[in-house]
Formats: sequence, structure tokens, C-alpha cells
Amino acid sequence: MRSWDSMDDFEAFLDDGGLVEPGDAMPDTYREAVFRFIELHANSEYMGGLTERDWIAKAPGLANKLTALAKTQDEIGHAHLLYMVAADMGIKTRDEMTVDLLAGRTTFHNVFHYRAYTWGDQIAIAYLVDAAALASQQAVFKNCSYGPYKRILRRIIAEEGFHMRNGEELLLKMAKGTSQQHDLMQEGIDRWWWPSVQLFGPDTRPDDVLLRWHIKSERNEVLRDRFVQKMVPQLTAAGFTIPDPDLRQDPDTGRWISGKIDWDALKAAIAGRGPDSERRLRDARNAWDGAAWVRTALDEAAAVPA
Amino acid sequence: MKTYEVFLKRPGKDPFTHVGALEAPDDELALSFARDCYARRSEGEQMWVVARSELLVADSVELEMADRSHRHNDGALLRDLRKAGDSPAS
Ligand SMILES: [Fe+2]
Ligand SMILES: [Fe+2]
Repeated sequence: MRSWDSMDDFEAFLDDGGLVEPGDAMPDTYREAVFRFIELHANSEYMGGLTERDWIAKAPGLANKLTALAKTQDEIGHAHLLYMVAADMGIKTRDEMTVDLLAGRTTFHNVFHYRAYTWGDQIAIAYLVDAAALASQQAVFKNCSYGPYKRILRRIIAEEGFHMRNGEELLLKMAKGTSQQHDLMQEGIDRWWWPSVQLFGPDTRPDDVLLRWHIKSERNEVLRDRFVQKMVPQLTAAGFTIPDPDLRQDPDTGRWISGKIDWDALKAAIAGRGPDSERRLRDARNAWDGAAWVRTALDEAAAVPA
Repeated sequence: MKTYEVFLKRPGKDPFTHVGALEAPDDELALSFARDCYARRSEGEQMWVVARSELLVADSVELEMADRSHRHNDGALLRDLRKAGDSPAS
């Protein structure tokens, strides 16, 4: 077990690229901040997995159903791994985290407060949301000071890469499809563009401890801008438009500049006042209640001496 | 529920590597959960799942504190000796 005499010592350790491990006597403020961040990530994976699950039955054709099945397992798997890492920080148990999530006491990412109506939405999510999430996770992984989180992120990122590639594959298929498929895809992009851009969050504040303590390695606005620079040409080349009438290209640098971003929409979504927040949480509660018999069976299995 | 640690070994020369932890009610389910959580894409050809309570954990202070320089050879002395050998005095 390592300990540090002062916050300055601890921060110098982090600045040197030091990795904090669960047994270390880390400052409480660090423990708390990292825990909250991982809990938010875990909640988001879990909520994402539950909606992905809806598409196992709805996805067109066996190949897409199998992918939806694999992705559902991946997302629920990510939640498992992250809840385990979070629980090992000794602040809340896994059950406490689930109960808090379902009671609306903790939050999950804005993109899971919207509804996926069509297959076009589902592809837009795989393409835009998974890409945005992956970019954020890669930025955390790059410089992450909490050892168990960094190690688990390596695995999550590898799997998220499959999802994003699958999203791009399906998007390009739709682009080359019938005009109906093209329209369906465009509607999906129209619904998911802004939530994906907002996922990166408003500009990082100068005093953001997550940046100072090497949980985040890049400012939100940098990641958001990189996402826009990458996605606009890809979507345009595939024959789609971006639902941002004020989007323009800087004549000197060639960089894309977004119109005004509605941060109130982000705040409302995260606070549980998004267009689909209520239904999503209800679904999650039903899933939890519906699986009560499994938890009972597991508890009883644990009680039987081997 | 018990906490278990999971280790995977990929084919080839790599040693077993710790990949993470999980909670399970008993050993049998721990193996099954470990497969679901950590080996959905054949990430290993062998897997060890160990109850955390069964792990013997060494004291990291004892591992670090002794001066073990006599067990290493950083080549500094050798470098000096070689240099001396090159000098015109020899
Ligand atoms: Fe995920
Ligand atoms: Fe994903």
C-alpha cells in the first residue's frame, strides 16, 4: 500500500504517469471523483445494453440479430466490468449502485435518454454514438491514472471498435440502398447528430479535477471538435446531410465549425428530463424486478454449503 | 456473493494474465460468469478463476524495501573498466 504525504506529492506522482491501485491510500477527493466517473460510465453501459437488447428481435435478418446479440452482451459485459472496478473502490456495493440508478439518484449519458424508433436510428447510434463514446474512452485510456480502470478500458475500447465498424458498415449499406433506406438513414442521422455532439459535454472548465488527476486526458471541446472534423466529411461523402444549418467550413483552415450547441438539452437529458428518460428508466426497473428470481436463486446457491 | 479474480492465458508464449474480477455465488457459476464476462471472443485458451479470499497477497513493502543492488548488474563498472582498457596508458 502506498501513501502520499500531501496532495502536492500525490499530484506529482500522477503527473509522472503514476498508476493508483485499489490498495493505495489515495486522497478521498480523488477516490470520490474517480468513483463517480466510473459509476456514470457503468450506468451508461448498462442502460445502453438494455436498449440494444430491444433490437435482437427487431433487427432485420439473422446476421443483424446476431450482431445485436453480441453487442448487447458486450454492453452488459462492460457494465459488469466497470461496476466491479467501481465496487472495489469501497464507496458503494454493486447493488447500491443499481438501486441508485433505478431510483434516479445517479445519472447516465444523455444519448440513452432518447428513443430509437427505427433501424435507421439504431444504425445512427452504432455509427455516431459508439464513435463518440469510443473517442471519449480512448482519451481516458490514454492517460488514465487509476490502474484497474485503465486496464478494463483497454478491453472495452477493443469491443467498442467492433460496434463502430459495424455501424459504419451498415451506414454505407443504407447509403447504397433504395431511396427509402436512404431516407430512413437520414432521419436517424437527423435525430442522433446533436445528442452525439452533446455527449462530449460543454467546454472543460479550467479547474476540472478529472483533467488535473489524469482521468481525462483531453478537454471536451477538443474531442468534440475532432469528432465533427471526422464525421462531417464521412457522412457527406456517403450522401447524407448534417442537421446543422449553421455548420460551415473555415475558408482558411478547411475545418468544420458547428452551429450553436443546445446545452440545455444535454442538461435536461442527464437530469432525467429527456424525451425518453421515463420509459428507459421504467424499462430498466422492470428488467431489475423481472430478474429478482435470478438474484434470489443466486443468493440461495451461495447459502448452500459446497 | 463471493469475489473472484480472473486470469487468462492466450495461446503461445504469454503467461497467465490477470484480466479482472467478478462476483458470483459459487465456484461453478464463477467459471460460467468469467467466460461470459472475459472470454466472449476466445481471448484465452486457458482460464483460471480464483476466489479473492483464497489469494495469498504478499506485503508490497517487503517486496520493495531491501536494497537488492547486488543482484543486479547495471554494467556501469564494466563500462569504466573497458574505457580504462582503451586508454593509451595500457
Ligand atoms: Fe460499451
Ligand atoms: Fe457499444
